[in-house]
Amino acid sequence: MNLDWLDAFLITGLFQVVMVIGLGLLLHLQLGLARIANFGVVGFWGLGMYAFGVLYVRVDWPFGEPWQFLVCAAAATLIAGLAGLLVGWLIADLDTDGVLVGTLGFATAVQLLATTEDDLTGGARGMGGLGFPYDIGRVKEDELLWLVITAVVVVAIFLYAWRVHRSPYGRLLIAVGGNEPLTRSLGKSTFRAKLWLFTVTSAAMGLLGAMNGVMVRYLDIGNVGVGVTLAAMVGLVLGGTARVWGAVVGVILTVGLFDIVVQSYLPLPQDWYTQAIPVLREAAFGLTLMVVLLFRPLGLLGDMRRDELMRKLHGR
Amino acid sequence: MEFITQSLVIGLTEHAPLVLAAIGFALLYRLTGLINVAYSETITLGAYFGMWANTTFELNFYTVLLPAGLLAGLVSVASYLLVFRPAKQRGVGVLELIIISFGLSIFLRHGLQFIFGYPVRFYDVPPPDTIPVLGVGVSSFRLLALVSVAVLALLLYLFIQRSSLGLKIRALASDEGLAQVSGIRPLVVTVLIWFIAGVAGGLAGAFYGVGSNVAPLLGWRQFLMILMVALVGGTWGLGGVILVGVGTSVALAAMALQFDQVLYAQLVLIVAFVVVLKIRGRRVAETAKV
Amino acid sequence: MVAEAADAPAITRPRLRVKGAVKSFSGRIVVDVDDLVLGDRPIEGLIGPNGAGKTTLMRMIMHSTSLDRGTISLLPSDGGEVVLSTLPAYRLARLGVVKSNQVIMDFPKLTIWDSLLLAVAGSRYEQPHRIFSERAVFEQHESEIRQYLDYFGFRDPTLYAMSAGEKKLLDIVRCLLLKPRFLLLDEPTAGLPADLTDKVMAVVRDLAAAGTSVVVVEHDLNVIWNLCDEVLFMAEGSVILRGDPKTIRENRTVVEKYLGEGHV
Repeated sequence: MNLDWLDAFLITGLFQVVMVIGLGLLLHLQLGLARIANFGVVGFWGLGMYAFGVLYVRVDWPFGEPWQFLVCAAAATLIAGLAGLLVGWLIADLDTDGVLVGTLGFATAVQLLATTEDDLTGGARGMGGLGFPYDIGRVKEDELLWLVITAVVVVAIFLYAWRVHRSPYGRLLIAVGGNEPLTRSLGKSTFRAKLWLFTVTSAAMGLLGAMNGVMVRYLDIGNVGVGVTLAAMVGLVLGGTARVWGAVVGVILTVGLFDIVVQSYLPLPQDWYTQAIPVLREAAFGLTLMVVLLFRPLGLLGDMRRDELMRKLHGR
Repeated sequence: MEFITQSLVIGLTEHAPLVLAAIGFALLYRLTGLINVAYSETITLGAYFGMWANTTFELNFYTVLLPAGLLAGLVSVASYLLVFRPAKQRGVGVLELIIISFGLSIFLRHGLQFIFGYPVRFYDVPPPDTIPVLGVGVSSFRLLALVSVAVLALLLYLFIQRSSLGLKIRALASDEGLAQVSGIRPLVVTVLIWFIAGVAGGLAGAFYGVGSNVAPLLGWRQFLMILMVALVGGTWGLGGVILVGVGTSVALAAMALQFDQVLYAQLVLIVAFVVVLKIRGRRVAETAKV
Repeated sequence: MVAEAADAPAITRPRLRVKGAVKSFSGRIVVDVDDLVLGDRPIEGLIGPNGAGKTTLMRMIMHSTSLDRGTISLLPSDGGEVVLSTLPAYRLARLGVVKSNQVIMDFPKLTIWDSLLLAVAGSRYEQPHRIFSERAVFEQHESEIRQYLDYFGFRDPTLYAMSAGEKKLLDIVRCLLLKPRFLLLDEPTAGLPADLTDKVMAVVRDLAAAGTSVVVVEHDLNVIWNLCDEVLFMAEGSVILRGDPKTIRENRTVVEKYLGEGHV
């Protein structure tokens, strides 16, 4: 396959967009439906990435690819899910302030552990040795295939979120987000609902982290900073927290703008890309969060339309 | 015995800015109900203002505290007037307010990074004298930090508990509508709260800055610890914040002496605070509206 | 839906026992109930002046307000005793103890269909992996829900509940769909037009006739006199008088002292 026309930055940019859409969709289930503000998205994602990396690189597996990838990714997903269960248990009966402490604390703990446990994670030096679970030719081709595989996973996450809106489970989540005491008085264990929500979505965040590890092939503690949480949150908020399409639209407009348009198509001086652009990107994201929530709190797509949905599902 | 005195002295002096910052943060949280993530940038800006005054006008560190605190206070007030007040007037929810403050924090932090770049900067001050306290050598800046924290905490306490303006602040916090009817001007009082909180944050930043270095991430690195101290200690008022803050400082110092990895101390404290919140949350969770 | 026999002696009813229950707000005792059994008669009315602690007592039963002291337990019709005050709040509805709300409570983002389907859906359908179970829940409960929708004359249920009256009614229908065995109604008719009040009362009578114990807090004393088999008069945090409506009405001294003349 001749891929000379394809810019290497474009593949990583697209991968970034696809992955953040996935995180944004999962955050949508937490923040948009159940109104749990997870400020520790990067913690679950990073835990998945590091769990995958450590298992993949440090363990001497008796089988080759693709099994090595599949086993390690499954384990990383499971570990992230268990972390979600634990964090969910800690914060499910706390108010927004407690949720902020719990999730931010978890993300910080993951970052601290990635730094201190350098025998396993490589610490501040970073860790190499990861690779694609296949070899179809040149790096660019491998990366393109990985982009496609990740996109399939993210489409699956999208379809799941889309179905959740059309299921009793989604209705319960919206009820929990809207009026938790009233939901409890209807005989619903809101605690358990939040717990399961956190477990499942965190596991999926971990899987995305593991898939990111494969793509970057080098784990660096600089990558598990607050920027990941910010990217998912700003995309979701701009598009609309309450809508399934919100994360898709918002992430394309934010991460897509910076990581694809600015990165690949603007004729800027070379040193800008390493110095100014990443900083401006974050500053712009922060500003976007503020401006959107001040002037259009429900984002570009607006509020969820249960009336239209109910008419479609159960109208006479 | 030596371990205890060492932990106490190092904890109290090295982490005194934490207590100061937590008081400012808790003041905002208790009186306006807002969790302000951008408070971390008030701290960072305090450090930068101090450094700027110090290197530009060659002022000594003690003089520098004045512009650092005042300017940080003004920034804090500006963030209220430009962001949080309009947000409240638009009826933005609690959760959205936190996200807004998160956005502001990110914006300021990277704005600073854009202006000042990555390299860390330092205060241009003569090396501080080392004063032995209970057999532990302590830099004079850190002793000053401890003293100013103690003085400021006392002043704040007296101001809020005893002065007529303090009474107004407390009245406003408990019932805005009622306070307004009884002739309190909410805007003036609220601006004052934000100013005081900003001054506390700015001073903390200056102490952090002179203690090590100045970088755009300075405040954010401390934020989680400040948040936890203010949230857990705040339940028992200003005294609780000071007590929990001092306890945290000493625990951080003690664990730093014990563990070969300083970061483990933070890890232990994160777990401890979240568990405290969990236990406390359990008790109030069942009782809610309906 | 009209009651035939309001008081069939064959049915043993679920009862609630409130024992040594105390609640005070900033030092002022609001509820102080020594020993109170609710549910001996099919429909009991709880009346009393403002601030007597009626709503607080109801909220204490439902865990919306915590107890300072004491226990509240359910005595099911088949015997035994379940201490409610140590159970998680959501378990109450599963035991059949259900309360309608005095102030309007609603889910701002849910339509009428949503709200009612939420009330009826079993928890096994509300799990993260059951994303294809909407149809099953809907088919299982559609006729039951439609019955109430038609009876109370709801507009298009795919819309959101808009008016205060509609939200109030929705709250009551949610309670009814939970198939209560012990139903607490906190001012059910406040904000409802007269014809709907009658319809609600008729349903409540039917429920009571079928074995559900009902306790009504109500300011409209006409509702109380017409509906209740027994009336409890509450003042200053405890029940000071109870008896059939006739006896209470005749006990002018107490009632008038608290409610003022013209109420009896």
